[in-house]
Amino acid sequence: MSILSLQNISKRYGAIQALSGVSFEVPQGAVFGILGPNGSGKTTLLGIVTDVLKADTGTFTLLDAPATARQRQRIGTLLETPNFYHYLSAYQNLQVAASIKQQSGQDIPRVLDIAGLTARQHSRFKTYSLGMKQRLAIASAMLGDPEVLILDEPTNGLDPVGIAEVRQLIQQLAQTGKTIILASHLLDEVEKVCTHVAILQKGKLLLSGPVNQVLVREDFVELSCSDNTKLMAVISQHPAFDHIISSQEHLQVVFKQPVDPATLNAWCADQGLWLNHLYTRKQSLEKAFLQITNN
Amino acid sequence: MLHLIRTEWLKIKPYRAFWVMVGLAVAIIPAGNYIAAEITSQIVNKTKELIAVAPYDFPLIWQSIANVNSYMTALFAIPMIILVTNEFTYKTHRQNIIDGWERREFVLAKLFWWLALSLLAFLTTVITALVLGLAYGTHSLSFENFEYLFYYLLQVLLSLGIATLIAVLVRRSGLAIVLYLCYIMIVEQVLVLVLKRNFGEIGGLLPLQTGDELIPFPVIGKLLNNADHYDDGVYLLMLCLYIGLMIFLVFRRMLKTDY
Repeated sequence: MSILSLQNISKRYGAIQALSGVSFEVPQGAVFGILGPNGSGKTTLLGIVTDVLKADTGTFTLLDAPATARQRQRIGTLLETPNFYHYLSAYQNLQVAASIKQQSGQDIPRVLDIAGLTARQHSRFKTYSLGMKQRLAIASAMLGDPEVLILDEPTNGLDPVGIAEVRQLIQQLAQTGKTIILASHLLDEVEKVCTHVAILQKGKLLLSGPVNQVLVREDFVELSCSDNTKLMAVISQHPAFDHIISSQEHLQVVFKQPVDPATLNAWCADQGLWLNHLYTRKQSLEKAFLQITNN
Repeated sequence: MLHLIRTEWLKIKPYRAFWVMVGLAVAIIPAGNYIAAEITSQIVNKTKELIAVAPYDFPLIWQSIANVNSYMTALFAIPMIILVTNEFTYKTHRQNIIDGWERREFVLAKLFWWLALSLLAFLTTVITALVLGLAYGTHSLSFENFEYLFYYLLQVLLSLGIATLIAVLVRRSGLAIVLYLCYIMIVEQVLVLVLKRNFGEIGGLLPLQTGDELIPFPVIGKLLNNADHYDDGVYLLMLCLYIGLMIFLVFRRMLKTDY
């Protein structure tokens, strides 16, 4: 079953084309990251899916059917900012959310506990810190233990401990088979928790698919010897040599296939070069992302 | 619909500022009419030969109180505006949809308050009229002329309808209240005067004026009545059409716009 299927969604705000012809599918059980810089259209896209924004063109289905309000009651959503009644307490706000979702409210203590807000549940929302507001929004999204969660920048405003807790929570939820759609501009967040990813830039979908296929990161080997100019000439003769990324301080060399450092060291020694530095590294995620977005 | 009302009750029950405003609105109706009843009863005592029935005696009291209260519909319109604009201020209008209301249900939930506040104004007026009529009147209880209170109810519904429309259009409470008060206190009054002076009685067909035309103050209203005055049925029809138009425009706005 496809949890969410978008077909050619476009949306314009005056002169700004917020989304243009975006199509992708979110499979059941995926932790699906929507990745893109600020202003790339992530929230607009999720706003359309949750009916708070109207698409200019295009269609989408939720849970394999045309979207309805009843389906949204079965999806836990945190969109952009925590939206609650300032004069109500956390508990009262969750009562309102549960009532809209046509739930009894029995689940409120459980989600407050997960969000770590039990002690402050009767304080008014307006007295909450930014991080607590975000936690309440996550608690509200989890009301009724929905099978699908849409989380837009869920770690916004949280301290490092809070960020780690939310990531762990997402991973725990994913392990129970839930489908999670996670919009984020944080690359490592997406890489750490997502199975699939769609990359948006200026409203256009650049790529989508499994994380390890979309965010391909080249391995490279960092090496040095007493004469790096000679090393550069020699290493380019290596049978697996592909290209050199950088020659500053150390040579950063990409090979066509993985090379064993010990074998490479021996090969260099055979060429009369004794390495004083040898280190296998992965290309940074930022670089991989920039390569995608620059292309 | 019951589930919408239950949810709205959860939102508003602990909202003290709202209940203070509604409490004041409810208190001002008997207080304002008590002052009017006291003054008019003194006038009647001094001019017994001229005026046979006091405005605050049965059966004129229904018309008198409807007329006096028609100047005070803003008392209920302001809490209505605040209820609606709060949703935009807190962005909870978005959250309600995200959590699983249809846009239509969001509007219906707000129209519940539109109806509830209008009925509260109506009931407060009925009770005030009964109490003042029995206290100040010399005639026995009579429901003759009670239709004026239904005209008043329709005028409150229209006034709150205009308030709701302005609230969904401008979304900010302060601006919405100022625009609403400007409209009911100045803009429409000026338009009515200009139209009546240049085009005759058609000026009486502007939204809130239709209610005013249906509820003239007893005795004085008769003195000012002119020959061009349309049949009451025309004003009544227009009043109902305006109410329908406000509701239609509120739905149209909230169903189509981005939240």
